[in-house]
Amino acid sequence: MNLKVIVASIIIVGALIFGASTFMESNIEYMDFEMAQTVNKKVQVKGRWVKEKESNFDATTSQFTFYMVDDNNQEVKVVLDGAKPNNFEIATEVVAKGRFKDGYFHANELLTKCPSKYEGDGEAVKKTL
Amino acid sequence: MFGAALVKIAFASSILSTVLYFVVHRNPSDTVKKIARLFYELTVAGLVTASAILLYFILTHQFQYYYVWNYSSTDLPLSLLISTFYAGQEGSFMLWSLYTGVIGLVLLRYTAKRGYEPEFMAVFSAILSFLILMLVVKNPFKPIWEQFSTELLHVGAVPVGTTNFIWVDQARGLWAQVPLEGKGLNALLQNYWMVIHPQILFIGFTSMSIPFAYAVAGMLKKDYVSWIRVATPWTAFGSMMLGTGIILGGYWAYETLGWGGYWGWDPVENSSLVPWLVCVASIHTMLAQRKNGTYIKTNFVLSMFCFILVLYSTFLTRSGVLGETSVHSFVDPGMWVYWLLLIVIGLFAALGFGLLFSRWKEMPVVPVQHTLVSREFALFLGASSLVFASIFILIGTSSPIITNIIKGKISAVDPSFYITTTLPLGVAIALLSGLGQLLWWQNSKTNDLLKQLMMPAALAATFTVGTFIMGATHVAMIVFIFASAFALCTNVIVGWKIVRGNPKMAGGSIAHVGIALMFLGFVASAKYDDVKTLNLEQGKSVQALGYTMTYVGYQPLERGRFGFNVEVEKDGQKFVVTPVMFKENDEGSLIRNPDIVNMITKDFYVSPLSLESAGASDHDQEIMLLKGKTETYEGMQLTYLGYNFTQTKEKGNYLVMDIEVLYNGMKELVHPTMSNKGGKPTFTEAQLQNSEIALVIKGMNPSKEEGEATVTLEVTGIHGQKKLSAPKAETLVVEASVKPYINLVWIGTVLLIGGFLITIVRRIQETLKK
Repeated sequence: MNLKVIVASIIIVGALIFGASTFMESNIEYMDFEMAQTVNKKVQVKGRWVKEKESNFDATTSQFTFYMVDDNNQEVKVVLDGAKPNNFEIATEVVAKGRFKDGYFHANELLTKCPSKYEGDGEAVKKTL
Repeated sequence: MFGAALVKIAFASSILSTVLYFVVHRNPSDTVKKIARLFYELTVAGLVTASAILLYFILTHQFQYYYVWNYSSTDLPLSLLISTFYAGQEGSFMLWSLYTGVIGLVLLRYTAKRGYEPEFMAVFSAILSFLILMLVVKNPFKPIWEQFSTELLHVGAVPVGTTNFIWVDQARGLWAQVPLEGKGLNALLQNYWMVIHPQILFIGFTSMSIPFAYAVAGMLKKDYVSWIRVATPWTAFGSMMLGTGIILGGYWAYETLGWGGYWGWDPVENSSLVPWLVCVASIHTMLAQRKNGTYIKTNFVLSMFCFILVLYSTFLTRSGVLGETSVHSFVDPGMWVYWLLLIVIGLFAALGFGLLFSRWKEMPVVPVQHTLVSREFALFLGASSLVFASIFILIGTSSPIITNIIKGKISAVDPSFYITTTLPLGVAIALLSGLGQLLWWQNSKTNDLLKQLMMPAALAATFTVGTFIMGATHVAMIVFIFASAFALCTNVIVGWKIVRGNPKMAGGSIAHVGIALMFLGFVASAKYDDVKTLNLEQGKSVQALGYTMTYVGYQPLERGRFGFNVEVEKDGQKFVVTPVMFKENDEGSLIRNPDIVNMITKDFYVSPLSLESAGASDHDQEIMLLKGKTETYEGMQLTYLGYNFTQTKEKGNYLVMDIEVLYNGMKELVHPTMSNKGGKPTFTEAQLQNSEIALVIKGMNPSKEEGEATVTLEVTGIHGQKKLSAPKAETLVVEASVKPYINLVWIGTVLLIGGFLITIVRRIQETLKK
């Protein structure tokens, strides 16, 4: 009986340590561009797309390039692996996941936060009258 | 308002039913039981009617209701129009309550026959009242003018000619405008999966509450043993429905959302997977308890967690806590829903676990009779692996909450977290699902076991070597392949024997064969897929991944969609795939749907990225230069040095730019000009020597301030020829990929569901025997 309890406890503790360490490793921290420049790991940065600046999709490298400002108004060029995400144009906020590389932010993933499209906004209802 | 009243009546009557059923539990009385039953039926009647009313409002486009306006529109085809019923939170709670109510009618009769009605229905009805309470808070029948009172509510006379209005209070002259059109359904949801997937998923959610209700009922009755017998078919039913819902969601993502895969470890997916894993684990520990009475407490805990975890998953995905960490966009439903969900989780957990602890000492302790080489122990280890997998996924999915508490900053885990943590457990699950079939109850003789192991292990090893020769790499993957192949071989061998003996008993083996096939399909299609981004110029054949692809043009499809036809050829076989792209609305969000060539051994998956029209747009060729700063553009280094401004009678305002260009190793100064005479600007291009390139001014900021003066230039071919390079044909950019053996995933799913079905039938029959 005792042996069983010990074995079980070892397995459980081992699994928890394994889980916790993987969790800490793969946690992608939120930071601003300034901080992101100083760390050499995958991070995520929240901000807005600078619509006025150029943005394009390069078909040869399959990368989408655009400019983004973070919450501290620092503007950075972002190169995303992949095409322009759905809802990009109407997003009020974007979150880029990736790391800094040669002066630009190399993102592997881009999340878009849409304006509460399905929450009522007065403008939308006027259009449908 | 009638609908809202019905919801409130249903709420009150479900509470009454709960209370009365509880009274019957304390003091058995047939009369009270009949009344309790009546109130339950009244609840369901209220829900059915309210749902019918909501559906009627949707079908007849009654946009004076906020919900109808918010999610539907007049241009939707009937099936999608019906699906807007559950497109939003209010409606999906409606659907959830409706299914819970209706399934409850079945359960009422089922439990009545088996002596479990008062206790079970008391709990089940309590669960139903919570769901209806959500509807009371998030009312789907809210009039639109309550949402937009400033825009829509007016006092006084209605202007002549206004027809779309409703009197809110005629005595006070209060009237409201009614929209003529709804906002419509999110374009991403507009396909047939929207019709089927949420319905099955909600039946799955509903059925997760059944094991909880049985567990609590068992404790109320102080029946710690035979409740398992009554509950097992429903636990299997829940696993089947929720599992089907999850996999349909994955197929939806794969087939139409164009994520490239069927599983993205997204919070929404994860949060339905977690209760499913626990539910499946409980099937295994229930089996062990049926056989020799052990794992009594484990079964109570797991059964209760099925439902608690569904509530928690609802909290995660409905309360807005995940914020921007998911690709699903969540609407913040307001503090009401947030706190209500938290309170309800707390209440049900307190009820269940409070009861468990108060009964803890009473529960019989069955001495463990099995050895470590027994089927019980394999079942226990398998269930533990499932539970650990669910814990890891739960922790990963909750990471925005955890990091918020620990660090005060929200962050999510990388999807690799889930793979790293669940892969070893997947190996364990696969090995155990094979081993468990070979072991005897209580104790197996090691020699017998080894003899039986030989065949499947040898087959699995051969298979693994085969995949290795075919190019499987990564040690972890090879181990996983071996484990899955072992599970497959063992279960096929054992399953075949059972089918020939008594097919009714084969549910487990068939489900395990399904799981093993799914595991193999996961590895092949996700780890050994081949992806390439391709530019398909119209009419020009491109070879990649062993296929020849030709983009032949596009055609408009229904509802503003465009299909892009690509001919695909391989070994003389020809297919046409038609991926779809369209703008969702005026704001112009681009929606992309892939198209797939399904073959027996693989899928060829074509996901559209963009369409580059013939001749790039002007915009692409513009560059803005900051004074004194060098920019690189198409191999040129451009520096804006300054400008010269003159004003003369003949030429009007005359502006000459000084732009230094370094191109092909030559440096030169060029002078594009802009003149304005009589308010009409003209631009003169400046050509680069020995090239076909010219620069034209597009705009400027003549500020004297350092760092503000800019000029925008268009870089064109000389004499206004638009392109720098030879004009290109229209080009479709696609991501093409080959997904080997993805059919194994779908075949495995069908077998898994079939296995559950057989198990359900067998276990229901068993509950009637005695």
